[in-house]
Amino acid sequence: MHEELSATVVDIPSSSTPRLRGPQDLLDGLFRGATLFFGLFILLILGGIGLSLVVGSSEALRTFGLGFLWTETWNPATEVFGALVPIYGTIVTSIIAMVVGVPLSFGVAVFLTELCPPMLKRPLSIAIELLAGIPSIIYGIWGLFVFAPFLQAHVQPFLIGTLGHVPLIGALFGGPPFGIGILTAGLILAIMVLPFISSIMRDVFETVPPMLRESAYGLGCTTWEVVWRIVLPYTKVGVTGGIMLGLGRAMGETMAVTFVIGNAHRITTSLMAPGTTISSALANEFTEASRGLYTSSLITLGLILFIITFFVLAAAKYMLIRMQRQAGT
Amino acid sequence: MPTNSSSAALTGTPTPAPAALAGTPSVAEPALAGNPVEKIQIKDLRFYYKKFEALKTINLSLADKKVTAFIGPSGCGKSTLLRILNRMYALYPEQRAEGQVLVDGVNILDPKVDLNLLRAKIGMVFQKPTPFPMSIFDNIAFGINLYEDLPRAELEDRVEQALRKAALWTEVKDKLKQSGLGLSGGQQQRLCIARAIAVKPEILLLDEPCSALDPISTQKIEELISELKTDYCIVIVTHSMQQAARSSDYTAFMYLGELIEFNDTETVFTNPQNKRTEDYITGRFG
Amino acid sequence: MAKDLSRYAGRRRKNWIILSLSMFATAIGLFFLGAIMFALLTEGIAAIRPSLFTEMTPAPGSDGGLLNAIYGSAVMTVFGTVVGTPIGILVGTYIAEYSRGNKLGQAIQFINDVLLSAPSIIVGLFVYELLVVPMGHFSAWAGGTTLAILVIPVVTRTTVDMLALVPNALREAAAALGTPKWRITVSVCYRAARQGMLTGIMLAVARISGETAPLLFTVLSNQFWSMDMNRPIANLPVVISNFALSPYPDWQRLAWGGALLITVAILCLNIAARTLASFGSAKQ
Repeated sequence: MHEELSATVVDIPSSSTPRLRGPQDLLDGLFRGATLFFGLFILLILGGIGLSLVVGSSEALRTFGLGFLWTETWNPATEVFGALVPIYGTIVTSIIAMVVGVPLSFGVAVFLTELCPPMLKRPLSIAIELLAGIPSIIYGIWGLFVFAPFLQAHVQPFLIGTLGHVPLIGALFGGPPFGIGILTAGLILAIMVLPFISSIMRDVFETVPPMLRESAYGLGCTTWEVVWRIVLPYTKVGVTGGIMLGLGRAMGETMAVTFVIGNAHRITTSLMAPGTTISSALANEFTEASRGLYTSSLITLGLILFIITFFVLAAAKYMLIRMQRQAGT
Repeated sequence: MPTNSSSAALTGTPTPAPAALAGTPSVAEPALAGNPVEKIQIKDLRFYYKKFEALKTINLSLADKKVTAFIGPSGCGKSTLLRILNRMYALYPEQRAEGQVLVDGVNILDPKVDLNLLRAKIGMVFQKPTPFPMSIFDNIAFGINLYEDLPRAELEDRVEQALRKAALWTEVKDKLKQSGLGLSGGQQQRLCIARAIAVKPEILLLDEPCSALDPISTQKIEELISELKTDYCIVIVTHSMQQAARSSDYTAFMYLGELIEFNDTETVFTNPQNKRTEDYITGRFG
Repeated sequence: MAKDLSRYAGRRRKNWIILSLSMFATAIGLFFLGAIMFALLTEGIAAIRPSLFTEMTPAPGSDGGLLNAIYGSAVMTVFGTVVGTPIGILVGTYIAEYSRGNKLGQAIQFINDVLLSAPSIIVGLFVYELLVVPMGHFSAWAGGTTLAILVIPVVTRTTVDMLALVPNALREAAAALGTPKWRITVSVCYRAARQGMLTGIMLAVARISGETAPLLFTVLSNQFWSMDMNRPIANLPVVISNFALSPYPDWQRLAWGGALLITVAILCLNIAARTLASFGSAKQ
């Protein structure tokens, strides 16, 4: 704004000279200052998070160096720690969550945008979004007491019996059906990210100009062809952004994973076996760790998670911004 | 006291067509005695959106207690010019103006001018009605309360006066507490006019006030304008030449950021001096 | 012609299959929603009796309630909301009204959205280093601060979105009256956007009500009644977490009861927020 007020205020002469009530310049400046201050405060929070993580992990990084990233040992007794197992767990559970969750989300988005009768659209979308509102811990206890036993009794033996014998991937499905483990955690994450990804996909699908859809239908395309050939290519940037957002959330999920992953610091080939992720290791062990190398190693895990999720979320955000620009919003 | 210019000549560029205004009948009113008083003088005004020169050297004078209309095809700069008069463009940093705009002799483009006080003296009504999300009463009282600390009874009087002047009082007097958004389009626009005049401005700027309204509401507002002009200097931007012909005393025709012709309305419409004016008025383009 | 028709039949079949799959996917999503709600209701209903709301968390093996946990959660949620909401509104106002899309405003919005989706456990670590370590002990203040930090990005996002919906003509109309800028923002813009902003606050509250991980190492929990903000305080999520993982059936029952409470509260907030949003837009 180019409004400038100086000590001598020039005004157009008139019969009645109004004056603004109250110290308006001061209030204007204060208000603007407050908004700017807190805006910078947000940047400060993020910087503070990064800084505190770096400071907290310095001891572990000094002791172990970069080798920390690929050390498999995690032994509080001998004070030897390595991040390989949690990183592995975080990545594999997230992959499972994406492999299962993305097609499901896509199906939900397609159904709600193309097929759903208008009357059902609102209640169904609200219902799916309620899934997003359920807190992580609820998923955790449901997973532990209902889902995992169910998987253990019915699904996992089936998988072991069928896929366990397939040559290449059989090892992934070998071993006893633990119930809790990496696969279970991945599946719960898939259910948790479903509402996020599908709602972004839906928003993004709705930015497609109706005329584009109509021209495709006018050529005699089936609904699926319109989605696959027209809608998806048009929205691919936004869809990718949505998927990455889901990935970021899956990686950071804590309580649901903590309850069903079994908290075992080892890497097993079988997906059914228990493992650990960065967030569940933190949740399980942080309060037990005495200050020192143990705590510092845990904070280093937190730093690693922070860096990974920051990049994933930043990339997602960047893509969604590009999508918005393309759509002209 | 506002300055009284001795020569009543109001000039426009590039074809100066000095017209003696004393006694010249305008389309809407019988002959007025005496010279019309200049309220606003625009001198060498240039306006830029970033690097683009949107208004090219405008020289113009606007008379007090009269209605001046700005007409021209889309994009000619008439709304831009109007919005300079209350420095509304100052809200957007990429827009700037150079030159002088004298209101009662004071250049309002001077950075030292207090914008809020300036805008309190100049009222503006926009293309689409913009009632605040408040009750009808509060809409009108909002502007008044900014500048004056009135006891309740006096505030209610002022609100009633403003609504009466805007020809809205009888329709809303029983529902002052209801939201302004509940009124019809024409009523909302009259509400905005009432809001603008409630703070007792000296100049009223109307930016295509009827473009979003039906013909009946438009007629009511045009009647309102002809009543209001006895108290204010009114400048109206309009897309409709018929409206300009009906409602205004003076008309300025603009094209591509330039002022092509300025004269009393009857002359502009019956005897335009410039070929382009004639083309526009007869509908050869626009 | 025959070739075309059989090809078309193939396309139609494919269309039908895939669309059925998408309907199936939606059914799966709804199924899990129903399964979770069902489990919550059947397991949790046993714990819903007056003693849940009147007694404290018990020692293992004995009877009790969740009063101290409910109180602790309520107190920290209120603190987090009361502190985080004004900050979020101000940040959102800066982005929407004052930054004019400059680099700083873009950076703040970007960082805000990253914070919005960032793992909450990381925020817990931050507050641990910031408050718990210097203070030497866990406290409700630390827990409340974590929740406040989680509230801010949600409220900022909603504020930015809602203020963007306020038409510029409204701002100009207020400016045309000579209203100072701060007054335009507060008296006109906030007023016009208030419904949406309220919805945002409700969604923020819903979000922090279920947060567990960051509270684990900022406020811990407390078996007894406490109103001391400077000490660990009982809170529903951590209590649920501890009790559920314990081997005691009494505790597990209380855990389900607490879970049911939290979920019902959050779902009510969500539904209320959405009805408010649609009610507002229907009115206008």
